[in-house]
Amino acid sequence: MSYVSTDSTGGTNFWVSFFESQRLVSGTIIILIYILLLSIFAYLISGYIAKLYRGEKTWLDPISGRLVNFFINIFGEDAKKDTKMREYFITLLIFNAAAGIFAFIFFYFQTYFPFAGVTHNYSFSLSFNTVTSFLTNTNLQHYSDPLHLSYLSKTFVLTGLMFLAAATGFAVSMAFIRGILNENGRIGNFYRDFLVSVFYLILPLTILVTIIFILSGVPQDLSQYVNVNPILSGGIQRLPLGPVATWEAIKNIGTNGGGFYGSNAAMPLENPNWFTNLVEFLSFTVIPLGSILSLGKVFNNRGFARTLYIVLISIFFFTTFMTFFAEYSGIPSITSLGTLFTGNMMGKETAIGISQSSIFSSGAVFTSTGAADSVLLAFTPAGLLGLMGNLILNDPLGGVGTGVLNIFMYVIFAIFITSLMVGKLPELMSIKISSKEIKYSTLSLVTHPLLVLIPFGITMLLPALVIGDPNPRPDVISSVLYEFLSAASNNGSEVGGFATNTAFFNIADGILMLMGRFILMGLQLAIAQSFATKSPKVETGRTIETGSPLFALMLFVTIIMLGVLSFFPVLALGPFLSWAKDFNLFIGGLL
Amino acid sequence: MKNRFLDALLNSIYGFLPWRLLSSPVMFVTEIAFIISVFAAIFPAQFGIPYTPVYLDFYVSVALMLFLTILFSNLSSSLSEGKSKAITESLKSLRKEVTGKQVTDNGIQEVSYSNLKKGDILRIEKGDTIPIDGEIIEGTGFVNESSITGESRPSRKILGDSVTGGTILVTDSLLVKVTSNPGETFLDRMINIVESSKRMKTPNEIALTVFLSGVTLVFLVVVSAVFAESGFLSVTPNLVIFIVLLIALIPTTIGGLLPAIGIASINKIAQYNIIAKSGKSVENAGDIDTIILDKTGTVTMGDRRAVKFYPKKGVEYIDFVRACALASLKDQTAEGMSIVKLAASEGVTSEMKDLEGYDFIPFSAETKYSGIKSTGEEIVKGALKSIKAKYKISDVYLEGLCNGISARGGTALAVARNGEFLGVIELNDMLKPGIRQRLELLKKMNIKTIMCTGDDDITAAYIAKESGIDEYVANSTPMDKYNVVLREKDRQRMVAMVGDGTNDAPALAQADVGMAMNSGTQAAKEAANMVDLDSDPTKLMDVIFLGKQILITRGSLTAFSVANDFSKYFVIVPAIFSVFPQLGFLNILGLTDPLVAITSALIFNTLILLMLVPLALRGVRYKPTSINDLLKRNITIYGLGGVIFPFIVIKVIYLILVAGGVHW
Repeated sequence: MSYVSTDSTGGTNFWVSFFESQRLVSGTIIILIYILLLSIFAYLISGYIAKLYRGEKTWLDPISGRLVNFFINIFGEDAKKDTKMREYFITLLIFNAAAGIFAFIFFYFQTYFPFAGVTHNYSFSLSFNTVTSFLTNTNLQHYSDPLHLSYLSKTFVLTGLMFLAAATGFAVSMAFIRGILNENGRIGNFYRDFLVSVFYLILPLTILVTIIFILSGVPQDLSQYVNVNPILSGGIQRLPLGPVATWEAIKNIGTNGGGFYGSNAAMPLENPNWFTNLVEFLSFTVIPLGSILSLGKVFNNRGFARTLYIVLISIFFFTTFMTFFAEYSGIPSITSLGTLFTGNMMGKETAIGISQSSIFSSGAVFTSTGAADSVLLAFTPAGLLGLMGNLILNDPLGGVGTGVLNIFMYVIFAIFITSLMVGKLPELMSIKISSKEIKYSTLSLVTHPLLVLIPFGITMLLPALVIGDPNPRPDVISSVLYEFLSAASNNGSEVGGFATNTAFFNIADGILMLMGRFILMGLQLAIAQSFATKSPKVETGRTIETGSPLFALMLFVTIIMLGVLSFFPVLALGPFLSWAKDFNLFIGGLL
Repeated sequence: MKNRFLDALLNSIYGFLPWRLLSSPVMFVTEIAFIISVFAAIFPAQFGIPYTPVYLDFYVSVALMLFLTILFSNLSSSLSEGKSKAITESLKSLRKEVTGKQVTDNGIQEVSYSNLKKGDILRIEKGDTIPIDGEIIEGTGFVNESSITGESRPSRKILGDSVTGGTILVTDSLLVKVTSNPGETFLDRMINIVESSKRMKTPNEIALTVFLSGVTLVFLVVVSAVFAESGFLSVTPNLVIFIVLLIALIPTTIGGLLPAIGIASINKIAQYNIIAKSGKSVENAGDIDTIILDKTGTVTMGDRRAVKFYPKKGVEYIDFVRACALASLKDQTAEGMSIVKLAASEGVTSEMKDLEGYDFIPFSAETKYSGIKSTGEEIVKGALKSIKAKYKISDVYLEGLCNGISARGGTALAVARNGEFLGVIELNDMLKPGIRQRLELLKKMNIKTIMCTGDDDITAAYIAKESGIDEYVANSTPMDKYNVVLREKDRQRMVAMVGDGTNDAPALAQADVGMAMNSGTQAAKEAANMVDLDSDPTKLMDVIFLGKQILITRGSLTAFSVANDFSKYFVIVPAIFSVFPQLGFLNILGLTDPLVAITSALIFNTLILLMLVPLALRGVRYKPTSINDLLKRNITIYGLGGVIFPFIVIKVIYLILVAGGVHW
C-alpha cells in the first residue's frame, strides 16, 4: 500500500509524502474539512435565515423587498391576506400544477418552440417524469442525453422549475414555523412566502454561486453545440454548451440536483476541479443546515438547534465514513490480486478522488439534492449502503425548507414517545402536542417506507419490468430499491444499471415523487395549522428538555429505528447480500 | 377469584370473533395470520409449501403460538374488564328501589322510586334509606354512607348538603329536595362511566393506535416486499415463515396490551374510591402543572388547637390559665375544648360547677368573641381586634405577641376580664401529617402548588413556608379561586383543584382536573370531572401519580415492544435466508437450525405478551423523580433492555428446544 511521491521539485517534504502515502488519513481529513466548512457557513447564514423565518428586517430589504412588493401587487389581494392551511395548501397546489402543465407542454412539443436545437420531442412518460421530477425538487435524470433537451427547455423551463421547487419548499417551512409561533390560527400567505424565498434567499445565493462557478471555468453562454473530435473515441461528438454555471448554481443552491449533462457533476464541464466540487457541496448543504441551525434563534432555544445539529451530523458522519471506508477498501477480491492499491476508483473522477467523491455523494443524498460527481453504479455495495442509509431516512437534512419540515416530524414523534415514557403529555416549544399532530406526524413518517416498498415489491414480482438487467442478482435489487428510494424521498440520485427511461419507471417514479412531496407537505401544513391556534405555556422547564443530550439520543435512536425497522429485511437481500458476496455492482454484472 | 378467572378465559375465547378485534389492528392482523397458518397446517400442498412431518410440526406450532398470542391479549383485557364488572356489580347492588315519602299538598304519600322526579320534596325519617339523590332543605342529621365510601362512621349533613341515593339516615329526620330523575342519579352515572370506560379511548391512546396501525401496515408491506424479493432471487418463499416474520415484527406486545392498560386505569382509580368521569381526565392529571389547594382540610388538619398561654405582665400565670379555662368551658367548638384540655395539662382542672352563676356569651359572627358573664365578672376571649373594639382598650405588648403568633402561622385569641386584657392564647392549626413530604414530591415533579385560604396574609405565608407551598392567596374568596384557575389556564398550564362548595363549581368546571368531594354539594359534583367518595382532598396527589403511571406504562411498553424487533430481525432474517450462507454474518446468535430459530423467536413473542400482562394491569413502577432521571431509567430498562433482553431469551429458548430434542 505504498505510494512513492514523485514531487517535481525532487524534494521530500515529509508532510507531502505522508499525506500521499497515507490516503486513509488524508481522506479523513478532507472529509472533516468539508464538514467543518459546512458547519461554519451554515452557522453564518443561519442568522439571516432566522430573520426570514421571523419576518424581520434584513439588509436585502431595499432590493428584494421592492421586488417582493412589486410581484405582490401583481398578484393582487390574494397575496396580501394571511390564510389558513387549507387556502395556503390549495394555492400551493394550483401554483405548482400550473407550472407543471406549462412545463409539460414545453417538453412534449419542444421542437415547435424557438431555440430548439433538437430534433425530437420527449415521450409522454418521459415528459411526465421530467416535469414531476423538477417540480418536486427531485430531478431524477431519466433524460440522460443532453442533446435531447433544447436550450429553451433547459434554461427557461427547467431552471424556472428548479427555482419554483426550492422556493415552494422554503415557503412551506416558513408557514410551518409561523404555525408554531402564531396564535391567531393563520399560517401566512403562500405567494408572499414564495416570493420572499426567491428574492431574499435563493436568487441572491444563486447569483453569488454562479459568479464563483464562472470564475472557476464552468461554461456560461448560449453558443451552438460544439463539435469535438476526441482522439480516443474516434468520430465526432456534439457537445452542448450553454448557461451551465447558472444551472449548476440553482441546481445546488435549490438542492435540486438534476445535471445539465446526463452524467451530472461527474462531467468536467459541470465540475472542473476540487474547488468547484467543494463549492457545489457547500452550496447544496448550506441552506438545509443553515435552516436547521436558525431554529435556535427562531424559537430562542439554542439547545434545540444544537440537538438537531448533533443528531444530523452524527448520522452524516456515520453514512459518509461508511461510504468512504468502503470505497477506500475497494473490492477485496481485486485488491488481493496484489497490484497497485487504488481503492475503488472505478467511476470516479481522478481530479476529485475517493474521499471527495464520497463526501459529495453522501452530502447529495443527505440533502435532497441527488447530484453526483461519480458513478454510483460502480460504488462498492457497502459504499452504496452508506448512501442508501440516508435515503432510507428520507434525506435527513432534506431540501431547501423541507429539511426543517422532515426533522420536525421526527421531533414530534420522538417527543411523544419520550413524554409518555416519563408520564407527561407531549409539548413542543411549550405548545401542547395533541393527538391530531401526533397522528399526522406518524402518518408522514410511515408514508415514506410505504411509497418505496409498494412499487418495489411490485417490480420484484414482475422482473420483466427491469429492462436491461432482469437477472436475479442482489445488486439489481439494490439498484431498483435505490431508484424508488430516491424518487420517494425527492432526492433524484440514481444508480441505474437498467433502463430507467421506460414507461413503467417514468410513471411510477413520477407518482411517487408527487406523493412523496405533496402528501407530506399537506400533513405538515395541517400540523402547522393545528399549532397555529395554540399559545405556548408560560414558564416551562418541567417538560422534556429538547436541548438535553438524552433527548438528542432519543431523537437519534427514533430516526435510526424507524429507518432500520422498515428496511432491514429488504436490505438483507440487496446490498447486504451483494456486500457479503463481494460484488462490486458493476463487476457483479461481468462475473 | 377462580370463577372470575374462568369468566375472563371464556370471554377471551369469545374475543376471537374478528369484529371484536377490529379496534386493535395489530391483533386483527394476528388473527388473520392465525387463520392462514391453520389452513397452511391442514392443506400445505395448496399453499405450495413443503409438507414433510418436520414442517407439519412446525406449522402446527406456529398456529398454536398465534392462537396463544391472541388468547393472552384477550385475556389481559377481559381480566381487567372482569374487574370493572365487579365494580359495577357492587354499585348496582346499591341501587335498591325503595319508596320515598313525598311531601305533597295533601300530606305525605308513599311514592315508588321510579315515580320520583326532580324537584319533589321527600321526608326522610331516622333509619330510612334515602331513595334518590337530593339536597337537604330542612334539618340536620347523620348519614351512613358506608355503602358508597366504605367509611362506617356516619357523616353529618346540614342544610344545603347533598345526599346520595342508597345511603341511610341514622339520626333525626330531613326534608330533601330531589335533584335528579331516576336513572340519572350519581350512582347511575358512575355505573355508566365504569361500564363505558372500555369503549372510550383517550387522545393519547388514539395517537398510539394510529402509530401502531401505521407500523403494522409498514411491516405488512415490508414482509410482502421481502416475499417478492426472495422470489426475484429464485428462492421459493415459504408462506408460513413469512407469517412468522410478520407477527414477530408487528408490535403485538403493546398492541395486545393497550386495551387492558386503559381499562386497568379506570379500575385502579375506582380502587382509590374515586369516580373519574373519563379516562382523559385521569391522564390529564398526570400532566398537571399547578395544583390549587385549600388550606383547611388539605394542608392543615382544619381544627385549631390551643398550644400556649401568654399572660400579660403583672397577671399570674395560673390565674390567667384558669380564666381561659372558665371562659372556654361552655364553648363546645374544637378550639374551646382544646383550651380546656391544655389548661388541664398545665394543672388547672375546671368543672361545670365552677361556672355556677355565670351566663355563657355565645360566639356570633358580628361580635367575634365568646365568654362568660356573671354579675361581677365578665371574661371574654376573641380576636384581638374585636376585643379592642368592645372595650376600646389597647395594649402594645399584646399586639406584638399577636403579630408574633400570626407570623408563626398561629391564631391569637386575646382574653380580657372586666374590660382589661389578661393575655393571649396561641392557637395553632396543625399541618396534616405527611403533607410536607407529599408537597416535596410534587415539587420534585415540578408541580406548582397554590394555596387558597381565608386566613390573613401572615398566617398564610407561614403555613405556605412550613408546608412547602409555592404560592398562596390570603383572604381568598371562592371567586379568587376561580380567578387563579383562569390565570393559570391563560398561561397554558394544566390546573387541578379540589372543591366542595357550590361556589367552587365554576372553578371546578374550568380546571383541567377538578375533583369534588362526595360530601360537597351537587353543583360541585356536577362541575368536577372526578368525585372522591372518601372526601379526602389529598387524594388528588394519588390521582396525579396514577395518571403519570398510565402514561409511563404505555410509553415504556411501546418502546420495549418496538425495541424487541431489533433482535427478532437478527434471528429471523438470517434464518429465512439460510440458503445464502453469505448472510451468516447477520446470525449473531449462532442459531444453526433455521426452523428452530424461527420457532424460538415466535415463542418469545408469545411468552413476553403473557409475562407483561401483570405489568400492564398493575402499571409500571413510578417513583417521583426529575424528568431526566426518570427518562434515563426507563430508556435503560425498556429501551436498552428491550433490545438486549430478547437476544438472551431467544438464545435460551433455542437451547432448551434443541436440548429437548426438537430438530427440524
